[in-house]
Amino acid sequence: MDRRRFLKYAGCAACALGAEHLLHGSGAAAAEAYGALDPAARLKLADMALTLAKGAGAGYADVRVGRSQAEFIRAREHRIEKFDAEIRVGFGVRVLIDGSWGFAGSEVIDEGEVRRAVALAADNAKAARLIQATPIVLEDVPAYQEDWVMPLGRDPFTVPASDKAEKLVAINEAALKAGADYCTAFFWFVREETLFASSRGSRIAQTRVRSYPRFEATAVDKQSGRFATRASLLAPRGAGWDYVEAQDLLGEATLAAQQAREKLAAKPVAPGKYDLVIDPTNLWLTIHESVGHATELDRALGWEANFAGTSFATPDKLGTLRYGSPLMNITADRSQPGGLATVAFDHDGVRCAGAEFPIIAEGIFRNYQMAIGQAALIGGARSNGCAYAESPTAFPIQRMANVSLEPNPQQTSLEDLFAGVDDGIYVVGEGSWSIDQQRYNFQFGGQLFYEIKNGKRGAMLRDVAYQGRTPDFWNAMDGLGDASTRFVGGTFMCGKGQPAQSAPVSHGAVPARFRQINVLNTERRDI
Amino acid sequence: MILSPGDAREITDRLLARSKADACIVKLEGNDGANLRFARGNATTNGAISKLSARVESHFGKRAGAAEASGRDAEALADAVARSEEIARLAPENPELMPPLGPQAYEAGAGYDAATAAVRTDRLAAEAKPAIAAAQDRNVDTAGYATAQQSFTAVATSAGLFAHEPRTAAEFTMTARNRAGTWSGWAGVGETRFGRLDMMRIGARAIDKGAHDAAPVALDPGKYTVILEPSAVGDLVGWMLWYMGARFADEGRSFFARKGGGNRIGEKLFADAVTIVSEPADVVAPEPTFDDEGLPRRRTVWVEAGVLKNLEYPRFWAQKTGHAAIPRPRGFVMAGGSASVDDMVRDTKRGVLVTRFWYIRMLDPQKLVLTGLTRDGNFLIEDGRIVGPANNFRFNESPVAVLANVLALGPSERTRGGENEDSLAAAPTLLVKDFTFSSRSDAI
Repeated sequence: MDRRRFLKYAGCAACALGAEHLLHGSGAAAAEAYGALDPAARLKLADMALTLAKGAGAGYADVRVGRSQAEFIRAREHRIEKFDAEIRVGFGVRVLIDGSWGFAGSEVIDEGEVRRAVALAADNAKAARLIQATPIVLEDVPAYQEDWVMPLGRDPFTVPASDKAEKLVAINEAALKAGADYCTAFFWFVREETLFASSRGSRIAQTRVRSYPRFEATAVDKQSGRFATRASLLAPRGAGWDYVEAQDLLGEATLAAQQAREKLAAKPVAPGKYDLVIDPTNLWLTIHESVGHATELDRALGWEANFAGTSFATPDKLGTLRYGSPLMNITADRSQPGGLATVAFDHDGVRCAGAEFPIIAEGIFRNYQMAIGQAALIGGARSNGCAYAESPTAFPIQRMANVSLEPNPQQTSLEDLFAGVDDGIYVVGEGSWSIDQQRYNFQFGGQLFYEIKNGKRGAMLRDVAYQGRTPDFWNAMDGLGDASTRFVGGTFMCGKGQPAQSAPVSHGAVPARFRQINVLNTERRDI
Repeated sequence: MILSPGDAREITDRLLARSKADACIVKLEGNDGANLRFARGNATTNGAISKLSARVESHFGKRAGAAEASGRDAEALADAVARSEEIARLAPENPELMPPLGPQAYEAGAGYDAATAAVRTDRLAAEAKPAIAAAQDRNVDTAGYATAQQSFTAVATSAGLFAHEPRTAAEFTMTARNRAGTWSGWAGVGETRFGRLDMMRIGARAIDKGAHDAAPVALDPGKYTVILEPSAVGDLVGWMLWYMGARFADEGRSFFARKGGGNRIGEKLFADAVTIVSEPADVVAPEPTFDDEGLPRRRTVWVEAGVLKNLEYPRFWAQKTGHAAIPRPRGFVMAGGSASVDDMVRDTKRGVLVTRFWYIRMLDPQKLVLTGLTRDGNFLIEDGRIVGPANNFRFNESPVAVLANVLALGPSERTRGGENEDSLAAAPTLLVKDFTFSSRSDAI
């Protein structure tokens, strides 16, 4: 599509652009083959890199060639302050030589750069050998020839810029009309196209799209000097513009503004132990941090000890650790429609479509999430398809699948959960979040907090955060909503690795009730 | 991919010449880097990464749009010009849009080192190997990361500005854990010059912190006297600087807002010894010489002798309020003192030495209260001596309170933060009273 649009706009623009010694001109064969990066060019580039890698002595090699497209549009009050559209291309070559990985990637695409990158990857593998006491061994992965395209409603990149801008400004104006002093809103759209090719014969093309609508309303009390914010409860999804349009953005903005103002006058929470009913708009992030990350095998093996951390869920606890109450069933999948981690194959070329697996079953720790080269280290056979690299120029590492809390098979509403609480707090929306490097001690804020008194939701509270220790917290869960209460939250920006990489991931959740959880008042009166 | 000033200018000139907009800003960025990771005494991942991209921002009156393209394909870059114009034509007017800057004068930067630009993975591995071997000798597990990279940024505008700056960065961090997994230590430094990184010394420091077999002393949460090492201080101050925007303060939604209107510039908020500066010419933590718009970064004093001296003023807000524009700080130097860590320990009746923080997030923007955790090297101090490892804590604390409660400062040095790998900070070790640990963490 770019190429057509380019021609429409610019004709033979590259010739006019000049700077011939720096840029690839349109008349050159290199640009025809690589610059446009159409599917045929991607395959040609990948084949060339794999041939070179074999010649460099790689026992295994894979190549990812990709093109990503992104739009980020942000409105502040009545105006659009940022409208950025990005197209990035790149490739990465990974070789395994004598038991050591070597990787190189580049955003410059031509034959010379491919040769340079393969040579650098081979050099890196040789360099790594210096500190490779134990050779890396990979399990067999079948070869696939597939072209997977995520089902998509309306492609957000075909929606006119003016429509997106007007909708964002309308969100802000709805919030301002409803009492907010300030409001900032954004849309963020991403398309990822990746060709994965391996020396084992796989040629896998995948395309997916994700969309993230979000806003935050602020209310200020100039007399007291207090201010309060209320962010939207909207989730990012593996979906298109139709998902954005299906949200009641103006209704949500109106409500958010009213609630931001209500927060200014809300009752400060008295710290102590409370029964909590946690809305799925908040609980998805608790699942992400305390279960999703804690059950990544690379962490448990110590590979992330220097940055993201390790895990309390060590391999010796697999199959025996009582992670939570028997109500707790957590499933990993890369298949659910709309999931941000939904793909047919991971970035190791492992098929993951339809291959969901339990992480926690009836409260017991059952499975890790894995990339290739890891399963054998804990006596397993093969990866379960959880590798991802944020771009073609990044090394694929183990990343999170969609990790979801299964609904209660018994009919249970949110009100049913309230009914079992004499003195508690209902927590809605994600707020401040933080967890330690072994995923024990966490502390989460939220957007909205309400008293629960004698089984009913009561007045709004402010300055609430709940703090817990992962296994204690999940073992304190004694109530769970049914499928009708399910909500899928998620993030575009889960961070891990050195150099740091971002990954998109979704989490299905239902409201859940937790007994006697530590609650703090976050306000500091002495400052 | 790195472009020289001449090569960068050739491309920006060509892109500007293609522009049909009223005004146009072109920004080129590129980098080449090598990285190497290891864990449990073994190489895990590595990479040699090359990036190059162009961002084109077009203005038609008060309408603006931007498009970015990676690589050096002529069609893709030309397409970015066209796409930015298409967006700009369809975008609503932005009354706050500022015109592109004309030619500017920049300070000489101190952020580039040619020797660092030449470092490859083999050098990283060769220099990391002795640190890994030392850990094996001391019977601790290691995990670490080494990197060296060069980058450039060029900004050119239709108003005649052209700016180009090369930068380099290098880093080595290492974690050492005892074999039982019951204790952990860390050390790390980010630098402009690879030659200043002493991997063996950093590794030895991590090993000294991590090689303890005694179970950590179990401490209760509460207010403690703490010795915060530079990494921890750099993280707290960095978070505070991120929230030092004049506009949010003037709008009444910031700790730096003055009750009743305006901001708190000129107020004494911190201890006398606290001075925080950003400076492109600083040899330890040199800021880039210009921001994304090409606005010059000059020596900026944020806090002097405890008094708030400046806030960030984006160009529009500066014009509206009659201030000089001040870019958002990209790095900073917190001035140090002469106290050694030994001095601080000797002066502490009961306290905790903190090596670094982890997972810091905003808890209450009203008072700038942050939450986060200690990690990889908490030590109990009693009666003027280090007793041994102590459990980790979660803290709920404000950098405002920390900088008001400073009792002593060590020399300022370049740090590496807990999460932000682009941190560009120099900070001292601080002795601080009444630091709030809010709950215990069982994590090691």
